[in-house]
Amino acid sequence: MIEKSEGIDVNNTQTDASCAAPAMSLPDDDSVLDSLVRDRVVVAMSGGVDSSVCAAMVAQAGWDAIGISMRLYATPPSSYSKSCCSPDDLFDARMVADSLDIPFYVANYQEEFQQRVIDYFIDEYRRGRTPNPCVACNNHLKFDILLQRSLALGAKYLATGHFCRVDHSGEVPLLRTGLDENKDQSYFLFGIPREALSRIIFPLGEMTKAQVRERARSLLIETAEKPESQEICFVAGESYKDFVAARLKEGQSKPGKFVHVDGQVLGEHDGIHNFTIGQRRGLGLTWSEPLFVQAIRPDEGTVVVGPKKGLFSRGLVAERCNWLSFERPPGPLECEVKIRYRSKPVPALVTVGVDPMTAFVEFEEPQRAVTPGQAAVFYRGDEVLGGGWIEEART
Amino acid sequence: MAERLQKTQAMQRIYLDWNATAPLLPEVRDALISALERYPGNASSIHREGQTARSVIERCRRAVARAVGAPAQAVVLTGGATEGNNQVLRTHVRYTQGAHIVCSAVEHPSVLEVVESLAQQGVKTTIIGVDRAGRLDYAALERALDDGATLVSVMWANNENGNVYDVERIASMVHAAGALYHTDATQALGRLGIDFRAVGADYMTLSAHKMGGPKGIGAVVVREGLVLEAMLSGGHQERGRRPGTENVPAAAGLEAAAKLIVTERPAWTERLLGAREALLSALNEHAPGFQVRCDPENYLPNTLNVAFDGVGGEDLLLALDLAGVSASSGSACTAGSLEPSHVILAMGYEPGEAKRSVRFSWGITTPARDVTHAAQRVGEVVGRLRALGVAGG
Repeated sequence: MIEKSEGIDVNNTQTDASCAAPAMSLPDDDSVLDSLVRDRVVVAMSGGVDSSVCAAMVAQAGWDAIGISMRLYATPPSSYSKSCCSPDDLFDARMVADSLDIPFYVANYQEEFQQRVIDYFIDEYRRGRTPNPCVACNNHLKFDILLQRSLALGAKYLATGHFCRVDHSGEVPLLRTGLDENKDQSYFLFGIPREALSRIIFPLGEMTKAQVRERARSLLIETAEKPESQEICFVAGESYKDFVAARLKEGQSKPGKFVHVDGQVLGEHDGIHNFTIGQRRGLGLTWSEPLFVQAIRPDEGTVVVGPKKGLFSRGLVAERCNWLSFERPPGPLECEVKIRYRSKPVPALVTVGVDPMTAFVEFEEPQRAVTPGQAAVFYRGDEVLGGGWIEEART
Repeated sequence: MAERLQKTQAMQRIYLDWNATAPLLPEVRDALISALERYPGNASSIHREGQTARSVIERCRRAVARAVGAPAQAVVLTGGATEGNNQVLRTHVRYTQGAHIVCSAVEHPSVLEVVESLAQQGVKTTIIGVDRAGRLDYAALERALDDGATLVSVMWANNENGNVYDVERIASMVHAAGALYHTDATQALGRLGIDFRAVGADYMTLSAHKMGGPKGIGAVVVREGLVLEAMLSGGHQERGRRPGTENVPAAAGLEAAAKLIVTERPAWTERLLGAREALLSALNEHAPGFQVRCDPENYLPNTLNVAFDGVGGEDLLLALDLAGVSASSGSACTAGSLEPSHVILAMGYEPGEAKRSVRFSWGITTPARDVTHAAQRVGEVVGRLRALGVAGG
């Protein structure tokens, strides 16, 4: 993985071949990375298997590793309503850090998480959009305040257990997809500030999930068999609809009408936050053909439904774009765009206006269910060029 | 394990968190270890093993009494100050018609949260505020006394800002109003002279481990004639006030600590004060741009609560730990993340401001050079944080 500079006394270096980390693309020349004090790497530890293995790899490569867990939300209140929770995950992370003999801290980012992720999550549903809280968390928590804290601790890098890669071989670091296609998480990482890439490493980027678990077992990491985490961590155990409904303020819930694309009113619904573009199930409508949500109009509370063919769009507009490979695209980009986590990137032409924060995307083939609020991430092969937030579909 | 110890030694760590807990004094350590071997008996048994164990308990009681200026019969050994504080306040409510409990807003949670929970059960309570320097609002205390306060609890010295409260003045005000006075003297023990009789307190709680005694043992000192009811049932130990088999080795350790207090305490106070001056001047030299958060006229010789301009307390604390300096800020929750200190909040700081507080606290075995070395490391870390511009409230 990460080549550590020579001449530093490393007490714990494992020479066992089974524990040798795979090569990772990072210059072993420290001159480009010399502005910080020590060979120190902060590892974001969630208590899950991925970040645990990540921490082990960083520590065993001889870095001065430090584990940090972010405390993002309180578990449901018990009798001590104001005192803090003791999420098992944090204890798992602490145990792993202890077994690796590395310092471990918990950073309390509940307020920031509330504002930047949970409030955003609720607000997007209130506006009839479908949020992506994992991207928001990466943008505002992991690769902003946690990265800053890492620098404050004198770290050269922040390491996370994402399945993704930063290629440090060229003039500027490039974000690349993780090699495990099923686990690639680059979609969630398009918003990393460009200048932060040089401070980030993803030790798992060249591994498969199976290899990570195997590694965890061979290292006797306590969390080796821990199941995958929930998709939306803070809604765990609850449906996201109930979660949102419980947090909409008085008058913010938008009940309204189901309207067919041909203009016919088909019924009533109890809030636009219950719907997402492309949704078919749970509409409670009987019709001669299957109906899908095609649009949500927050102002009047209308959910527009129609047949499948109406779901396809020829393009989209993305706002608040972040470019990783360049400050702004040098011209129209022929690239691939991924419009939701679980879909393949498709060929598209991307142009930006005077302001590179707004991107206009034309698909080569029309795409199904372009969903405002989700991310549109631009790729060229395994390189992540950048991405933005889907504002609207273009038909 | 051995490897880890070596690593720790190689780091030359500086421990400045005595107000959380302290390393054992060498005499205490020896007494503990020898007691673990020498006294296998139950102090309540009538046989020889029991008798020798009993004598440890009684010697401990006498030593504690001498160390704090109280008769031996006044000393009830407990598991620590949290237990003692609960016991005093809850006993008072049970035995007092129309109880009205008053405490300061900067009390330890083992007072404050008991008072809050009693309030929820319908007991009348009043919380007395403090000013920006953490000084008690005496006018508010007077009003509470006029309002029929029956018990007032104000600590001798504060664990977070180090403030020393005027316990004699408070005691006389409280007694003039016909109420009872309780003081938690845990942070004063071994650092300031404590004279229970001279102060005229009615209850005083103590814990041994902040000044180098064993963890898990403390005492309630009770004025003659007052009740202290057991929190638990099931034993006659401590004359029915603290059921459960006595912790003989801890008592042996506490005895050793108390004996040292009797002979060494005035010199200790001087030594601690010297360290405080040294730390302050070294901080001025290496990390200028900070404010000290306490009552500058009256604070413990071993405590310094500091906020460095433009530097977040949590960032500083973590970076200091990595630089080998153990300090503290606020109180860590179960999961280990930091909340702003309720004491600093009570002094009127906004939460963001309160989070900038870092507390250094040392003890009598802290090497003199440690505080100046610590200040140098603070200077380096503060300098880096300010240069990175990542710091804040």
